[in-house]
Amino acid sequence: MPRWSRNRGAFQLQERSIIAEMWWDRFGIARNIFDSYSFYRQARNIWAFSNATLPKFSFEAVGLRMMNFKEKPWKPTTSALQVFGKYATRNFISLDEKEARCFLAGESQSQEGNVEPGYIVVFYKEEVLGCALYSKGILHSQLPKELRIGHEEEMKM
Amino acid sequence: MDHFQRYAQIIPDFDEFSSIQAQPLASSARINTLKTDRFSLLRRLDRANIAYRTLDWYPLGLLLEVERPGKMVEHMLGLIHIQEVVSMIPPIVLDPQPGQTVLDLCAAPGSKTSQISQLMNNQGLVVANEPSLSRITSLRANCERLGAINVAITRYDGRGFPDHQFDRVLVDAPCSGEGTSRKDSAVLNRCSVKRSLDLQALQLGLLSRAVSLLRSGGVLVYSTCTYAPEENEAVIDKVLENSKDSLMLENASIPGLKGCSGIAEWEGTVFREDLKRTVRYYPHQNDTGGFFIAKMVKE
Repeated sequence: MPRWSRNRGAFQLQERSIIAEMWWDRFGIARNIFDSYSFYRQARNIWAFSNATLPKFSFEAVGLRMMNFKEKPWKPTTSALQVFGKYATRNFISLDEKEARCFLAGESQSQEGNVEPGYIVVFYKEEVLGCALYSKGILHSQLPKELRIGHEEEMKM
Repeated sequence: MDHFQRYAQIIPDFDEFSSIQAQPLASSARINTLKTDRFSLLRRLDRANIAYRTLDWYPLGLLLEVERPGKMVEHMLGLIHIQEVVSMIPPIVLDPQPGQTVLDLCAAPGSKTSQISQLMNNQGLVVANEPSLSRITSLRANCERLGAINVAITRYDGRGFPDHQFDRVLVDAPCSGEGTSRKDSAVLNRCSVKRSLDLQALQLGLLSRAVSLLRSGGVLVYSTCTYAPEENEAVIDKVLENSKDSLMLENASIPGLKGCSGIAEWEGTVFREDLKRTVRYYPHQNDTGGFFIAKMVKE
């Protein structure tokens, strides 16, 4: 990736193919899935935006936050996986109901999966729940606190 | 409750209005068609044995018999958005089309913003403006969770929003919030004529700016969740007066939803004749919160 902007407020248009290539490399998502989106870089975040030209305003956010580069490897956001994760052909995992509840509660659990270490797409049935970090046989839920659903909730799913 | 006595002459069936104040509002939600469709979502609720009722006048509106709807999986997945029923009205009246450029001038927490985005099927541009940084957090989180990807967020004082021409502008104005009293009656402790007049100045500033940001032929919707005529008809009356006939009021009612026409006069001030095209919604009419809405088209 190019060097990071010093201007935190600036959203800079990125080459779509670079982003598409990164999602192909990690998740096997076909590059053309991203054809109708444009991507903007702001500080260490990449934002996905449906294709429209942007007026010359000062923006706080543009579309949805897609991924961040605060650490290596880059990390996909929950909201991005809920939109694009369903197209993943590798580094995804499907959970059963008990495991899904652990994931939704924000917990870690041991898990055997045919995935590489790093961030993976978490499915329950046909749906993408979000993102997990897979490391040494442990699946760490990356669900943001505000979206978590504790075990005490009477959950119907 | 005493505060509402000043509206005894303008609110029909005032006793019914008063008695419904003690009844809490049902939880309600909007089906988010950016991530699912009505059929799939209802089937999903049926399978999970979640009790709900649908709204007659809006196929995407639901009343949920759930204690904590914000903790539903469907909410976490962005398939539904917890939203007060009357708050679903402005985007329907605004009627944005895919591909248009739309401004939501007072956007947080983004219920109406994301509903606008869904009406546009994520095509075109929604500029969601919100001056408060802390409220931008909820605005952004809701848009992201709901997959509203054609929304760009700005943080301007709406009265000084930079020059641009929009096809649609929504001014869901800061208001005294009397219509939300079924949710939290404490809101009434802050209500007074003076406060409504202070808010009127802000509302006029926002609406005047909105008029200049609207392209010719564009649609402008103004809404509040309050009853005070100072913040409703009086604001529209002044803006129309200032616009020198460049703005036309259109009927803002929605088929199937009971409402009242805007009032003709208030405390000695007679409003323009066409203000009857604005609509007031009272809690006892549809078992909702209270609301006011006006729709204008620029020549």
